[in-house]
Formats: sequence, structure tokens, C-alpha cells
Amino acid sequence: MERRGRILAVLLIVGLGFALVALRLVYLQVYDRAELASRAERQQERLVKLAPKRGTIYDRMGRELAVSLDVDSVYGVPSKIEDPSEVARQLSRILHENPRMLERKLAGDKHFVWLSRKVEPAEARKVKDLDSSEVGLQAESRRFYPNKALAGSVLGFTGMDNEGLEGLELAYDKTLHGVSGWVLAEKDAVGRTVFPGGPGFQYRLPKAGHDIILTIDEVIQHIVEKELDVALTKARARGGVCIVMNPGTAEVLALAVRTLTRTGQPFNPNEPQHYRPEEWRNRCVADAFEPGSIFKPVLAAAALEEKVVHPLERVDCSAGKIKVADRVISDAHQHGVLTFTDVIAESSNVGTIKVALRLGRERFYKYITAFGFGRKTGVDIPGEISGLVKDQRLWSGVSIGSIAIGQEIGVTPMQVAAAYCALANGGMLMKPYIVAEIVDRGGNEGKKFQPQAVGRVMSEETCAKVNKMLQRVVEAGTGEKARPSGYTAAGKTGTAQKIDQRTGTYSKKYYVSSFAGFVPAGSPKLVILVMVDSPEGVIYGGSVAAPVFKSIAEQSLAYLQVTPDDMGDRMLLVTTR
Amino acid sequence: MNTRAGDLGYFVFERSRRGGLRRAFIILLVITGLMLYVGGKVKIVRLGYQIEALEREKKDLERANGSLRIEASSLSSPARIESIAVKKLGMVRPSKENIVVVKRKRTDTNSEIQGAKFK
Repeated sequence: MERRGRILAVLLIVGLGFALVALRLVYLQVYDRAELASRAERQQERLVKLAPKRGTIYDRMGRELAVSLDVDSVYGVPSKIEDPSEVARQLSRILHENPRMLERKLAGDKHFVWLSRKVEPAEARKVKDLDSSEVGLQAESRRFYPNKALAGSVLGFTGMDNEGLEGLELAYDKTLHGVSGWVLAEKDAVGRTVFPGGPGFQYRLPKAGHDIILTIDEVIQHIVEKELDVALTKARARGGVCIVMNPGTAEVLALAVRTLTRTGQPFNPNEPQHYRPEEWRNRCVADAFEPGSIFKPVLAAAALEEKVVHPLERVDCSAGKIKVADRVISDAHQHGVLTFTDVIAESSNVGTIKVALRLGRERFYKYITAFGFGRKTGVDIPGEISGLVKDQRLWSGVSIGSIAIGQEIGVTPMQVAAAYCALANGGMLMKPYIVAEIVDRGGNEGKKFQPQAVGRVMSEETCAKVNKMLQRVVEAGTGEKARPSGYTAAGKTGTAQKIDQRTGTYSKKYYVSSFAGFVPAGSPKLVILVMVDSPEGVIYGGSVAAPVFKSIAEQSLAYLQVTPDDMGDRMLLVTTR
Repeated sequence: MNTRAGDLGYFVFERSRRGGLRRAFIILLVITGLMLYVGGKVKIVRLGYQIEALEREKKDLERANGSLRIEASSLSSPARIESIAVKKLGMVRPSKENIVVVKRKRTDTNSEIQGAKFK
């Protein structure tokens, strides 16, 4: 009986134990289920992001300017590494990285750490040859700019995670980037990622970014950069900009920015880490400057449109200086009595100011704003500023004289180029643009950008008169060195004093030499603006910038197969039936 | 009482000559089925490996293709072409004196024809 009682007691205890376990199971499976399930999910699942392929940037002829390509990045598994210093030493020889930094990364018990991102193929091969389970390669997309520095300031660059950081890469980041995908992966006991596959496998494939086609022409861009570099070296200048546009549409065909860099080389978007922000800034839209005499055609257009002067009307500039309010403004060279056409051709400050005074501040201001100065052009390049145009109610007594000759006003090179497009195309101000088309590789309809008219600035008749006056500048005025061989041209020189930051007055040493114009004058195909910052020695726009205009015009027109219109006796007229 | 299960038991376990043959046939059938199943699985795994290897090869080729495209782009850059044309081949741009512009004037329509166009 006693024995039976003991057996019963043991059975009771065991049964009680089972009952407790069963109760606990019911509690875990029924009452605490939701909380425990979500905790398990958090511990066991990992959302792996799948990066999309970034879209390609092409020039107007379909040539690649920015391309993405898969390259290898090197990672380490510190939790597996027994001797971090030895591995770091090996890798530093291959990757040319600091061994101490690598060792610091490899120490610890993490399961994953990046050691070097987006390495060269040769380096990746050497890492692969190590055949180590502690170090591995992971493919990542890297941005390449095959033409190196060509159009670098326009294109901008991307960051390590393929996000646009500057230039068009930034402005069109959403378009180029695409949509990221993801995979819901599982983690094993030691934290490694396992892709389960099979039914219930949750994922979303990444969607590649759209391609964009620019209005930029690679060949014209090359011509512009090459000629600008030659001029800057010759003039020992601090920098320069050049814009080439199609006057009829305001498409930007080339845009070059040069500035003194630490490396001595123009900004190369393949290696942005070697440059400072001011070296990749697009000065064509982000910097304002006093335009100097290249602003005089704005006054000429306004005065002719308002009929306050006639192109052949004689203006007395013999004094060589004029007093406006309390300031005396002089001519660089003394002239006699000039026609208004020659006032512009010889770039007489005195003659220009006399006509400006006749026009009056209200009407002059109306045309300045009509030409687009004082507000953003709307070009699709990031960082554009409005420039500095004072409201005419705030002008001092001398302002009308100063502004007429391009002082006391801040404009961007893009605004000047757009204004000259209006002078070249019959008086219509167009909105400049640099992206011609967005191409959707997914089969959906992309987007094509069309020229957009901002508004009429002047009549076609007035425009034709200004065109003739600007042709005179190139034929017999200050811009003779801008005359391209075989083509007629129209334009204006400018030599603007820079403001001395220390004294706040006009510098006698630093100038901005410029030339803005269009070719062929009869039926303009190109507007070209050249600006050279702080040339040494010869400082005049007619000597420094005008020859650059000529070289760019000759080569670009030949490339575009524009028939020469000024061949003299080298032109044959053949009559056929 | 004979049930269906009983029938099956009799069919499988009956000790007779006919029964022995049946058993051997069934075992052979099961083994063949298993071999076919395992063989199929092995084939699938092998094909999986092949697909994976081909996928890897495709990816490598795509990457190589991308690299070559970038290299081709880089080699056909205007700067390089101009440099070869001028320095290696001694080419020069034609001067104004080297160019004769021919304009055709048609008498019937009185219109001039020029070859150039703006791209």
C-alpha cells in the first residue's frame, strides 16, 4: 500500500509538472502570442535594401556623359577574425588604406563592416585572390564620367550612396535615382543574412532611374573648354566662364566654368573629394558680377525701342567725361562726335550715359527687368541666384549713368546669355534650359522639354537695328578680334572693374574681361558669352575675351555645318536649272 | 471480416509464390519511384547550380560590358580624337583660304540651295 502511495505521489508530481508546462505553453501561444511573434520577427528578419540602377546622362547626340556601373566594395566580418592587425596589414597593401584605420574597423564582434567602398577592379581582384571568409566583396553601383572634367560643373557628382550632391545630378536626383527595392531576409543564429526563397518570399524589385538627354553638345563643350583654358593660361587669369546657346530656343549647347583649383586641374566629377566646394560651384548661375560694357546693348535696345535716339544720330563725346550727380565718369579713350552706332562700337561711356539720361530711369528700368535681369532665368541648374538689380525708386542720382555702362548692377552669366539670345532671335526672351528629354526605360512615356518664351522684349525692327550696331562693333569697333573667319558676327566687348573687397571701391588691378555676341549675324545660330576673371597684363575684353569668341565660333559653326556667310571672293554662285 | 485494409494486407503479406512476385514487384516499383524522385531532385539541384553559375557569368559579362562601354566612351572623347588628329596625324583645321563656298542658284525657282544645316 505504501509502495502504491509513493508511485501515485510520483505520478502526481510528474502530472503536475506536465500540467504546468502545458499551462505555460497555452499562455505563450495564446495570451502572449502577438508580442512574442513580433519580437521574434524583429530578431529573425532583416529588411535588405536593393539599390536601383541610376539613370544615364547623355549629350544631345546620345553620347554618354555620366554612367553607372557595378563595382566591388570590400567588407569584413570582424566576429570571424582572430588577428585583426594581420588582416589589416594585408588589406592596407591592396587597398592603399591606413592600416590602423582598417584594424580599428576589424576589431570587435560585428558581423559586417565596410572596409573600402567602390574599389578599382584590380584591387577587387587582389582581395578576391585572398580567398578569405573574413573579408568579402559586395557589388555596388558607382558613377563614372567617361569624359573626366568635361562639363564637370554642369553634371555635378553623386555621393557614396548614389545620391546626387551637385549639378544636374542633384537637380534631377529624383528622376535619375529610381525607386529602391527590398527583400525581407532572415537572420540565422549568428546573425548572417539568409534569403529564404520559396512561397511567401517577400520582395520588391528596384526600379531603375530614368535617363536624361541634355541640350549640351559634347563636341561644342570640348571646343569651349579647350579655348577657354588656352585663354586663361595666356592671360594668367583666376578663372572664367563661357556659355554657348541656341538663340532661337535658348538651349544651352555648352557651359564651361573654370576656376583656380588646388590640384591645378579643372573640376573632375570622378574625384570630387580632391576639390573644394567653391571649385565645383557653377559660377554661370551662382555668381553675380558687374557686366560692364556688355550691358550697353540693353540700353541701346531700350533707347531705340522708345525712339529716343536713332542709330545714326550724332552724339557729342568729345569731352571724354561726363558728370552724373556727384560722380564724373570717363571714357577709356577720348572720342569726338560719334553716331550712336559708333558710341556702342567704340564703347563710349559718355555717349551711352547721354542716351540713358534721355531715356530716363523708369523706362530704362522697365527694359532691364524685361530682359530678365534681377530674377532667376529658371534654367534647370541648381543654385541659381537672381542677381542684384535695385528698384528704380531706390536709384541714386548717379545710378542711371552707372547702370547704363554696366556698373551698380549684378547679373549672372546665364542672364546675360539669355538677354543676348533675345537680341539675336528678333526680340523674344526665352527661358534657358539644359535638359532636353527624360527617357523612361521602363516603357512608359518620358518627357520632352520644349522651348519656352518668357515674353517679347522689343520689336523685331528694333532688334534688327541693334543687330546692325553690334555687327559694327565686330567690323570696326572694339570687338574686331572677335570676327570669325568666313562668318559675320555681332557682339559687344566689356571690361568691368571688380570691387576691391578691402576698400569697397573699384579695383584698379582686377577686371572682368568679357565678350558677348552671336554668329552668323544675319541668321544667328549661336550666342556665345565669354568672361575672363582677373586677367593680368592686357585686360580689355576686346583683347582677352574676343579672340576666344572667334575661335569657339569658327570651330562650332564648322562642326554644325553652318554655311559661311562672309567669304568675300571665296564664294561662288553657280546657276543651275 | 474482410476490410479493404485486410485485402491490402493479404495482397502484400500473403506467403505464396504469387505473393512473393508481387512483393518483389512492389519493392522494385517503390525503389524505382524513389530513384526517379531523388534523380529528379539531384537534376534540379544541378540545374540550380548551373543557373547560378550562368547568372554569375551573365552579371560578370554585363559588368565587363559596362566597363568596355565606359572605356569606349572615354577613348572616343573629343579631346583624345583631336589630340590624335593634330599630334599623330598632323591634321589642321582648314583656313578661310582653303574653303570655297558654292551656292547654287536655280533659275526656275530663283532659290538658293545650301548644304549646311543646324543640328
